[in-house]
Amino acid sequence: MAAKEDLEIMDKITLEFKIKCEVRRKGRIWLDTPTEGFVDFCKWLKEQGFEHLSAISAIDWPDESMCELAYHLWSYQDKILITLKVKIDRQNAVIDSVTEVWDGSAQAHEREIHELFGVKFEGNNNLTPLFLEDWQGPPPFRKDFDWREYVRGKYYDRQNERERVYYD
Amino acid sequence: MTGKMNASASTTISPLQSTPERAEYDLYFGPAHPGSGNFGVKLKIAGEIVASARADPGYLHRGFEKLMEYRVPIQNSVLSDRICVLEALNWNLIHAEAVEELLEIEPPERAKYIRVIMAELSRIQSHIIWFGVFSIGTGFDTGFKLAFGYRDYILDLFELVTGGRVYPAGYICPGGVRRDFPDGAIEKIAHVLDQIGRMVRIEEMENPVLVARAKGIGILKLEDAIKLGATGPVLRASGLKTDVRKDEPYEVYDRFDFEVPVRKEGDAYARYLVGIEEIRQSVKIIKQALQQLPEGEVIAPKFRRIKLSTKIPEGDVYVRNEVARGEAGIYMVSDGGDKPYRVKIRGPSFLHMIPVLEHLLTGAQIADVPAIYWSLNVCPADLDR
Repeated sequence: MAAKEDLEIMDKITLEFKIKCEVRRKGRIWLDTPTEGFVDFCKWLKEQGFEHLSAISAIDWPDESMCELAYHLWSYQDKILITLKVKIDRQNAVIDSVTEVWDGSAQAHEREIHELFGVKFEGNNNLTPLFLEDWQGPPPFRKDFDWREYVRGKYYDRQNERERVYYD
Repeated sequence: MTGKMNASASTTISPLQSTPERAEYDLYFGPAHPGSGNFGVKLKIAGEIVASARADPGYLHRGFEKLMEYRVPIQNSVLSDRICVLEALNWNLIHAEAVEELLEIEPPERAKYIRVIMAELSRIQSHIIWFGVFSIGTGFDTGFKLAFGYRDYILDLFELVTGGRVYPAGYICPGGVRRDFPDGAIEKIAHVLDQIGRMVRIEEMENPVLVARAKGIGILKLEDAIKLGATGPVLRASGLKTDVRKDEPYEVYDRFDFEVPVRKEGDAYARYLVGIEEIRQSVKIIKQALQQLPEGEVIAPKFRRIKLSTKIPEGDVYVRNEVARGEAGIYMVSDGGDKPYRVKIRGPSFLHMIPVLEHLLTGAQIADVPAIYWSLNVCPADLDR
């Protein structure tokens, strides 16, 4: 069920950017955005009160050769959560950074996604790794990187009687 | 003679004066520092002043987001305890809510009240630890011992209800809670709340050590707080009245009467005062919940017998909760299988410990680093995940 505030912001989005929105429940709006003009759209949303970038999630879809980014935005004044979804190419995962819109919080979120999913954010001047030290392999949170396979190959020995169970 | 002394004095004094050409030194605060937890901050020091700070996380990175992709929700429920050691039940709750929203099931009324009671107890003990570590960070050791003593009352309660003192092993699971309150639990909770009242009175005594070390230190302006993504008590101490429990009530929070404490100062002491007031409000919530506690089932019929192969319908949800440290979120995507396709966990400490901490430490005195660090109510575990 959509509340009055939800409908207001949805009407504005459809009017200004011709983007279709969906309301799942009160105060939860979901929408897909194209990559062109993405940062401008974010700037506009911030002017509408979406000051808080709650999180950025990346979802890897290897079958469709696509990486999906979901930006979760919260408005303190209207109490609405918008989830923006952007689809980018998986092989050449590049997108414009939103650090000029959400500043420090966006920078930290983008750093994490760059490290774990290998997405490059153009315009973010600090993409140094956060968690892993000297990691040379593929981005570890992508779907085609199998943790169990990696651990078996790197740390367990099939000939060792006690570690053989991990291969069965 | 006197002339000679003067000359030598002037030569020894001059290197102490701070000049722009002075070298900067590296100082590593953590990860082996007793006052930092499993987390490091690399500081550049110019004299006594921190010229720049760089957060160095990763020492607790366990990769829950990926681990959950290999497991079914009932296993992930147990895994979700570990996201933050100090508030395991709150993370249990948010994981359960995400799965429930995807499965479109509603937990029974009694379960919702039990969840609120347990989540608020968890918040209180987390805030008590906050007081403890903040005290030890500022040189008030007695506060640390008091805090861990009083926290034990709540841990006893957790043991009675969930079976585990720190980790409830997925007590709050998708569909409700694992089991009902045992006999005598309600009386025991009421008794523990009285003890908490005593603890709050101790915290309120305005210990001169704490006040002197915390007042006016690490001031976070409201515009910076919003820009850097601060949430929860940190944001409220900077002057914005916001709380997920009020803004978007989950479970049965809309049925309780409680206040959201706010302060304007934005310094370490203001954050500490907000923390104390939140304990009092949590006690108020629990008392109301115990009064209204309805009879009935505690787990939805579908989950009464655990089936490992429950298919999760295709879709995605983003769930937000107010945990002790701020805003927590779980974004869960399902492709129709029995395991989640992707789980994103948003821990409040992620932003508190990277952009906010780096911002506050820049320009601070070395001696104030622990006070600023602990005033943010940090948890390296939910930063690294």
